[in-house]
Parts: sequence; structure tokens; C-alpha cells
Amino acid sequence: MENIIIPVADVYETAEEFVLKLDLPGVEKEKINITIQPGRISIKGEVDTTHRDEARLLLREIGLKTYYREFNLGEGIQHQAARAEFEQSVLTVILPKTDAAKAKIISIR
Amino acid sequence: MSLIRWNPTRELTAWPQGVFGMQREINRLFEDTFRGGMRAEENTGKSFWTPAVDIAEQQNEYVVKMELPGINKEDVKITLESNVLTIRGEKKQEKETREGSYRRAERSYGSFQRSFTLSTTVKSDRIDAFYKDGVLTVTLPKVEEAKPVQIEVKVK
Repeated sequence: MENIIIPVADVYETAEEFVLKLDLPGVEKEKINITIQPGRISIKGEVDTTHRDEARLLLREIGLKTYYREFNLGEGIQHQAARAEFEQSVLTVILPKTDAAKAKIISIR
Repeated sequence: MSLIRWNPTRELTAWPQGVFGMQREINRLFEDTFRGGMRAEENTGKSFWTPAVDIAEQQNEYVVKMELPGINKEDVKITLESNVLTIRGEKKQEKETREGSYRRAERSYGSFQRSFTLSTTVKSDRIDAFYKDGVLTVTLPKVEEAKPVQIEVKVK
């Protein structure tokens, strides 16, 4: 039976972009699927379970699973310019802001 | 101050029913308390987390798997001392992450340590460990006398 797990995530914002970081241990880069549409991003990652023998487990905290998570996106994101990196099982999705959404610095006369 | 990891799967499971449901709720309470992700220590300022583990016992070996996403393998230390396997290490927070303004912070950082007592002796010089796809796998071969031996019983 497939077990859907919501991966833990950090979401933070800089002046230029929004950044999502998700822990996806056990997932190969090729098994990650990211879909972005206006207002929504979804991330799916499949864990390779080919060589698992569940019957012999003395302790089972990891188990069998597929990661899936969605985030609502506000306005002011350039969807086409989104990019992703995957390093040491941490997925980083960078969503650049539109110029209108960037923080403006107002100088005092 | 303490941060308890948000457990998203809890919200997906149906509302517990009857005795089994109550059992599940109690288990959840213990999980939250004893292995609930990040916990900031007031005195030391250090944070601790508990990575998830699977332990499989094969006929000839134990296989321990630990989820360690975002860690450098140089920061993990594995020791075996009188049948107690200890895996400890530290996950350092990425620099750029500290600078943004946070909307959500669920991922754990800091030191971790987990120890497991093995019921049979293993060949301490033949232990193998590798780190792939964010999962640490430690293989501990059993010594010969620890393997199960089949004894034939003759029926008279």
C-alpha cells in the first residue's frame, strides 16, 4: 500500500525571491516531480523500494512512502523563472518575485 | 521555549475510533515527546533532533538505515562498543537560510545521537557504512556462532 507522507519544509523570503526547502531522504533526483501553475506548486518524490524486505524489520520508523506536498503561491511570482536544485536529499525551489512584488527601499529626503 | 515538529500525517488519518484509536493517540503522545524533531535546549542553546531509523535483521547481518537529509557524511560518527551501536552527528544550518525571513521552519538542525543494543555479537572489523540519497546504511555482519543453527530432532 502506498503511504503518502508530507515532507518537512522550510519556506523563507528574501528581497528578491521565495525559497522552499524540502527534505526528501531516499529519493533519487529523477524521481522528483515539480509542477508550478499560477497560485500553486506541487512537489512529489518517490522512494525506491525495490530492495526492501518489510518482514525482517526490527524497528520501522522510515517505512515505505511517497512524498507529496502542495503550497499555495501568492501573486507576484515569476513562474517561468522558477528553478530547483537537489543536493544531499534537500530540494531547494527558488521562486523569483516579479518586480512589482519586490521590496522597495524608500530613501528619506 | 520548545519547538515540536509539526506532524502532517496526523491530520490525514481518520479520527481515532475505540480502543485502537486510543492506543494510537497514546503512541502519538510518546512519539511527540521522545522523538519529535527539533527541540531547543535553553541552557546550551543547542538544538537536537532525532532522525528516523529502520533496522532489519537478516540471517547473516543487521542493516541499519537512518534518514539524514542535508548532512555532510564527514559530520557523522558511527561507533560500536560492547554490542551498542551509536550513530551521532551534527547537521549544520545552511548559511543563506539564516538570513531570509521565515514563513515556515519545519526542518531540523543541530546534534543528533541514537544508540541501539544488538542482541547478537557482530564482526566489529567488518562493519560497512555508506551514504546515498540522504540515507545512511550501516551493515553489521553477525559472527558465526550468532547465526541461527537448525537442529534436527529425530522422532523416535
